[in-house]
Amino acid sequence: MKRFIDHEELARDSRFIRQDAAQANVISSLPDDVETVVNVFEQFGPMIEAGVRGTSAEPLFEELGPGFMLTVLNEPLDPEAPAALSRLLLRMHGIFVGELQALEGAARSLWDFPDAPWEFKMNMARQCWDEARHLQIFEKLLVHLGGHVGMYPESTFLFEACCSEDPAMRVAGVNRGLEGLACDVFRDMIRFADKTGDEVMKQAVDFVLADEITHVRFGSEWVKEFTKGDPEHLKRTQDFRREVDKRFSFGGARSDREDAAIPIAREDRLEAGFTEDELQELSEISGIGPSKATLTEAAQILRDRYHETRDAQKEEAS
Amino acid sequence: MSERMYPGLTQEERTGFAPYSAFDIPADLRELHGRYDVEATALRVRNFRYAEEWMMMMMGGWIATIPEIPVKTGLGKVIWETAQAADELGKRLPELRCGRKSLEASEAPNTAFADFVQEVSNPETPDLTIEKLSGVFDVLIPHLVEIYEIHNRETDAICDAPTIAILEDMVRRKHQHIQWGQEVLDALCDDAETQKRRRDRADQLSGLLKESGGVTGVLETVQASLN
Repeated sequence: MKRFIDHEELARDSRFIRQDAAQANVISSLPDDVETVVNVFEQFGPMIEAGVRGTSAEPLFEELGPGFMLTVLNEPLDPEAPAALSRLLLRMHGIFVGELQALEGAARSLWDFPDAPWEFKMNMARQCWDEARHLQIFEKLLVHLGGHVGMYPESTFLFEACCSEDPAMRVAGVNRGLEGLACDVFRDMIRFADKTGDEVMKQAVDFVLADEITHVRFGSEWVKEFTKGDPEHLKRTQDFRREVDKRFSFGGARSDREDAAIPIAREDRLEAGFTEDELQELSEISGIGPSKATLTEAAQILRDRYHETRDAQKEEAS
Repeated sequence: MSERMYPGLTQEERTGFAPYSAFDIPADLRELHGRYDVEATALRVRNFRYAEEWMMMMMGGWIATIPEIPVKTGLGKVIWETAQAADELGKRLPELRCGRKSLEASEAPNTAFADFVQEVSNPETPDLTIEKLSGVFDVLIPHLVEIYEIHNRETDAICDAPTIAILEDMVRRKHQHIQWGQEVLDALCDDAETQKRRRDRADQLSGLLKESGGVTGVLETVQASLN
């Protein structure tokens, strides 16, 4: 068996389809300019449409056009909002595939780094069991909410973004970047479950969040260990982690900004070993990107143009 | 009858407590002396740890390339319990005069067994779940269970009791792993073709395992142990 695999080699059963990771990567680098955002999403339109056809995301695309992810990502989960259930399921499915890729990332660390210290292997082995349970938990929660595995396309950009061939960068990406994002998302899900009175979801996600804090702590400790006595290596690792954090902020959707859909879970991250300086830096990195007002306006334009084009096509066809 | 609570310096100053052998309550028929001395036991523990560590690592490598979700999640638990087994074996090594730094020591008994382990790990693509699981759950784990049980019968039951306790716990879990693996393989091999693939893979690896002499490099079987 070879060391290191590409994200395209992640094995899936017949329920899954892939979403091109380019979309997620583009969202993280958009400027605060309505016209640019609209142009980018119009270019990606056919690819986005092909990716959602036949999935449960198709009605969202039909309603909102190629910019539907802008609306989904940038609006906080609100049980009273239109299409609230679809958006909740979309996020829950995203968490499910995120856990799947986190399991695969931790498990590959056991094979990809055979000479790593034994304690590292023990931590990664424990994380495998935890992530495997998380996968089971989120499949149950998906069904609990009326959804199912494979109902939305899977973007493998989480695995792609954080699975470096350097062990320090691997743990910085998986355990600090990806698991840190999980802390933010799960704290938000607990708030949502609290609001809707969903005790099943609230308790399960709270247990998962406790595990994730441990995984982030693994990352904090192993980045230090792998880069000990090598300031240049530490710098490269920190640069890599910053890049991962920027990508995982989805253009400010996960940030400390007042208009963020997913706020940074400061208390949870502090408990997991992030320092105040790192949180300050994360706050700055994640806040870069188009404002909510820009994205809302762009999403509105994209929706109107999509409907105009579709109506014109229908008229021409009839 | 003496009423003394503690012995004194003379014959008359004994306590009144009844004498028992260390093996009387409850009755214990264990005898001293086993097949392995300290050095041989330490080598065997390093051999066992080698198999456990590599098995854990290869299953970790496979999770991403196995398409069946329940297999991914099931392997997650097996990986953790296999890592715990390797860890417990490592902790035993300093107790067997291998030095404080021996916690992570693993040793293949010979290159043939190391080659066998690499062959078990070889299947890579998503269409080879049967070959992956058969190597571990039809061949390698049942072999380890057999050897661990032989070790526990043949080692000094009193002197080497700490190793026995570790292996007993491992065997209990490995039986659960085998049962899980068999159920999964039975479900995946539901026609003649897939059943043949499973048998062929198990036969191929069993042959290599036998040639290598197994995890200790010395072909040990239940039959030999009964002689």
